[in-house]
Amino acid sequence: MHDFNYHRAKTTAEAVALLENEDAKAIAGGMSLLPTLKLRLARYADLVDLKPISELSGISRNDNSITIGAMTRHAVVAASDVVQEAIPALSVLAGGIGDPLVRNRGTIGGSIANADPAADYPSSVLGLNATVITHTREIEGEEFFQGLFETALNPGEIITAVRFPIPKRAGYFKFPHPASRFCLVGVFVAQTETGVRVAVTGAAPSVFRFTAAEQALATNFSAAALEGVTLEPEGLNSDIHASAEYRAHVVEVLTRRATERALSA
Amino acid sequence: MPRVTMTVNGVARSAEVENRTLLVQFLRDHLRLTGTHVGCDTTQCGACVVHLDGVGVKSCTVLAVACEGSTVTTIEGLADGDHLHPMQEAFHQNHGLQCGFCTPGMIMSAVDMVRRNGYDLDEHTIRKQLDGNICRCTGYHNIVLAIIAGAAAMRPE
Amino acid sequence: MHGPATSARIGQPVTRKEDRRFVTGEGHYADDFNFENQTYAIMVRSPHAHANIVSIDASEALAVPGVLAVLTGADFIADGLLPVPNKTFSMHPAEIPLVNTDGTPAFNVPDYPMPADKARFVGEPLVMVIAESIAAAKDGADLVHIEYEPLPCVTFTVDAADLDAPRVRDENTSNVCIDAVIGEPDPTEESFRNAAHIAKVKTWIPRVTGSPMEPRGAVGTYDPKTGQYTVYTSSGSTLRLRRDLSLVLNVPEPHVRLVIKDVGGNFGTRGAIFAEQPLVAWAAKRVGRPVKWTSERSELLLSDYQGRDLAVEAELALDKDGTFLAMRGSNVGNLGSHTGNFSMVQKGVEIMSSIYRMPSAFFRVRAVLSHTAPTRPYRSSGRPEVMYVMERLIDIAAKQGGFDRAELRLRNLVSQNELPYKNPFGLVYDSGDYIGVMHRTLKLADWEGFPARKAEARTRGKYRGMGLANYVDTATGIPREKARITVHPDGTTDLIIGTISNGQGHETSFAQLVHDWLSVPFEKVKLITGDTDIVDVGGGAHSGRGMRLGSIVIWEAVNRIIEKGKQVVGLLLQKDAAAIKFADGDFFADGNQVMSLIDVATAMNSRTDLPQEFRGPLAGECDQTIMEAGFPYGSHACEVEIDIELGTVEIVRHTAIDDVGRAVNPLIIHGQTHGGIAQGVGQALLEQVYYDASNGQMLAGSFMDYAMPRADMLPFYTTDISEIPSTTHPLGIRPAGEGGTTPALGVVINAIVDALSEFGVEHMEMPATPERIWRAIHGKPQRSRMVPDTVEQDFSLA
Repeated sequence: MHDFNYHRAKTTAEAVALLENEDAKAIAGGMSLLPTLKLRLARYADLVDLKPISELSGISRNDNSITIGAMTRHAVVAASDVVQEAIPALSVLAGGIGDPLVRNRGTIGGSIANADPAADYPSSVLGLNATVITHTREIEGEEFFQGLFETALNPGEIITAVRFPIPKRAGYFKFPHPASRFCLVGVFVAQTETGVRVAVTGAAPSVFRFTAAEQALATNFSAAALEGVTLEPEGLNSDIHASAEYRAHVVEVLTRRATERALSA
Repeated sequence: MPRVTMTVNGVARSAEVENRTLLVQFLRDHLRLTGTHVGCDTTQCGACVVHLDGVGVKSCTVLAVACEGSTVTTIEGLADGDHLHPMQEAFHQNHGLQCGFCTPGMIMSAVDMVRRNGYDLDEHTIRKQLDGNICRCTGYHNIVLAIIAGAAAMRPE
Repeated sequence: MHGPATSARIGQPVTRKEDRRFVTGEGHYADDFNFENQTYAIMVRSPHAHANIVSIDASEALAVPGVLAVLTGADFIADGLLPVPNKTFSMHPAEIPLVNTDGTPAFNVPDYPMPADKARFVGEPLVMVIAESIAAAKDGADLVHIEYEPLPCVTFTVDAADLDAPRVRDENTSNVCIDAVIGEPDPTEESFRNAAHIAKVKTWIPRVTGSPMEPRGAVGTYDPKTGQYTVYTSSGSTLRLRRDLSLVLNVPEPHVRLVIKDVGGNFGTRGAIFAEQPLVAWAAKRVGRPVKWTSERSELLLSDYQGRDLAVEAELALDKDGTFLAMRGSNVGNLGSHTGNFSMVQKGVEIMSSIYRMPSAFFRVRAVLSHTAPTRPYRSSGRPEVMYVMERLIDIAAKQGGFDRAELRLRNLVSQNELPYKNPFGLVYDSGDYIGVMHRTLKLADWEGFPARKAEARTRGKYRGMGLANYVDTATGIPREKARITVHPDGTTDLIIGTISNGQGHETSFAQLVHDWLSVPFEKVKLITGDTDIVDVGGGAHSGRGMRLGSIVIWEAVNRIIEKGKQVVGLLLQKDAAAIKFADGDFFADGNQVMSLIDVATAMNSRTDLPQEFRGPLAGECDQTIMEAGFPYGSHACEVEIDIELGTVEIVRHTAIDDVGRAVNPLIIHGQTHGGIAQGVGQALLEQVYYDASNGQMLAGSFMDYAMPRADMLPFYTTDISEIPSTTHPLGIRPAGEGGTTPALGVVINAIVDALSEFGVEHMEMPATPERIWRAIHGKPQRSRMVPDTVEQDFSLA
């Protein structure tokens, strides 16, 4: 990896100031950023470590949402009683990211900001239409992911928390990649006050909504309602591990299974 | 170059490192604690697992400078003098190792598993929780048996 | 000889002596060697599968602070260094030689560690950058500018055999290095004409890689005063590697010292010299400082020796009762870009018929070069591939002819009274109870209870299948091996031996032999290996030869110590040495204990009244080889459950019985079997070194894409040992080690095909990924394993 200047930010304001340099990059858990740097796929003049900023960690709940600080580790989310009670699917999702050692280190903010097409969290952000809170504004989950490793974040903008509305029910089902253990496909199904959302990760260059399934589930939230609901393979990822056609099929199956999980939760 | 100081296996250790120095490089190259291994470059194999402030991490994916003031335990610091840690003893008794290269990471990961999941570990839990550690020799059979035994032996009297 | 009454004797599941250093982090692998003032090397590797090297510009790299040297293949040649010679065939007398049909010698060329002319696979090392730090070397490597002239390439085995394919070596007229036939054509054809059933399979066993968890690494030093090179590394062999290093460095063997401590896995793919080992030695001489190189996993996936990669078209003829009449076919093995080792095709074809009675057989065998990383023996080289073919043929024949799969096997297994049995390729199997072991496996695996388990699985929505597979393995074990044992007056017993452990636990199992035979304390037996200043003869642990050959030389060395002891006792007590007996660590004369082994060692070390030849250390040595082959065999069963919606497979039971002849340490043997099974399952379900045939790029270049088996996809295995002594080994050892892997490909695939039989699935290619299974269930065309996003093409080996 190329060398860089390293800064420990103690407050969000300090981090924001340090990130004004356009060659600077925020580092959270480092589980995505450091492998990228090690392979020399990216280089930055400055790394700004957000870890010391205590205000960015923690989980809180109000009547209809839970808010997870950006620097909250996956393991903490997975084990949180608050999350398990309010959105058990989110706990399941966090508990299946990477492996336990990665979950001890990786953070929700880091995962979302990186927008890896095979990451787990984006499906929950889109599937629950969570609100991504940054130091300057709030971004709808709907608007946040904009493509392969692309988000609505402006340069230097720091995610401080993610606010998840508490759904009536939700389910997550992951088909792990045989080598990387990222998502070959992951499907997050949620029934909320505003309707049904089905978000799919791993299958395409960016997380997306499976609208045909949403429509089918809107009138009848059951796996049976998904009979005959199909996803076109066009535009889906195809690689040595799975073709677009197979991924489309897996999305269909996982949507049913995630729905069943939502109903059994 | 910045100087980083941390407590490693109970001893304050300090060295000048580059900012890009990884925790595993600090341990292996600067402190010559070569029990922590590097088996891959994509944060998958788990040969490099150490405990950072009491929590298992893959030291190939942590910056040394980010560990300033932290407490690190490596495989070299697990035993109590000549008395092996129960998990080390369990790996030995159950033949949970062959070439030994993945073993330090396996043991450190297993101890962290006990921290997370308790002393009563069943086969299913262990296999699921061991997906961050790769072994090419043992087929995992005896590693799983070792962790069942080691976890039970770690239960305080 | 009774031996000591301890729990460390031969046959006991002794926990390992070496474990303590491994569980405490005191293991010492290649990257743990460090020297004052050492420098670091980084290799610049070819991004092309095939390209002329037009020019190399190192000027920018040399300007990077900390960069000390940039070395190329041209420098290597200019310094008078030589290419690595290849020893293509096993020359063991028990093996069946392969000879070109047209009488010409097999094509074989040596390989430069860094070629100066051409790159012949993606990942081939072309330039070496030496610097003060790894980071500086990497910075320099980024600035080495190599101008390439890309050339057409061929990667897929069958394509490479085409006489018009792009050639890897200009010196040859094609990529075919050997084109041989083996067996008897006429009786084979006659049997096929008379057959009631003919089962056919056409298959490609894809390329995989050994992936020991320890990365490759080496440190080279050079002493200009003595002209001595020293290479500190990790390898499957010591003395063969030292010899190869001396040939490449172009110095006499004593000018190279090799030091190996712990070896973090081998599996065959770390058994041979690799490019960077001589390069660090040479570079150390060039820069005048130690040079250290440690690979990263991504480099390893491109440039480690790889394994398997065999295309087979085979047929089995049966009479109406299911008796095997003959088999025939054609095998093409992919050597990659070097003529490194033909064992995959040689060791493969000579046991195609496994342990079944096969009156005749005839096969064509080719080994071909391609623009891919070199292949070498990998975990039971050649045998898992052909056992898979044979066991697939049997299941296909059973389905075709309506035979029970177990009965068809039992009917055709060679019976105990037919042994020794000469198979149709000429190999002579020594001994065993093939039928008895298969019966035991059927019982242990509860073959009878399978229908009930299958029905129960269906209530959970799972499709359950069970597969069976028998196997045989050949253990030959050249080169020669040497042991020297010294008993010291304090009871410490040194065992110096050439072969080196790569995780097999020699410190323990060899100590058990010495302990059992000499009654010296088990804890006091010290194994010394891995340093050519100390060991001078011996090979690796390949072909199961570690214990098979190690035990013989240890046995003989022990006997020489005892003989010497008897003579010393005779001299000291004025008795007839021939009448003195040795038992349990003591010498007896006229039925009375007169001296202990330690007494003798003490006397020899201290008494000045002994003749010169009996003064000094009490030591014995033996240096020999074994000219007969041993044949480990066994019978495995596997059960899978398939989620037919997704195509995912769960291995729910795996049962293995392996006949090892004589088990020295069952704990270690079971461990070897477990690991072997996992490697076989990995190949059957997950792993592939995926070369894109359209451009030669390797698409599984890290553990993000090369799928390694993990704990959560494997079950507890049920393993048992059979001990019918091998008749070609004085102690009956066959040995163990490859039993897990050899039948695993076949038994897993047979189980999957069985589970899917009601969908009309008759065969499944590897790796049996969920998508492949899903496509098979739905009769969809399979996707190519050679070119992404294309449909799998049929091939012909005619």
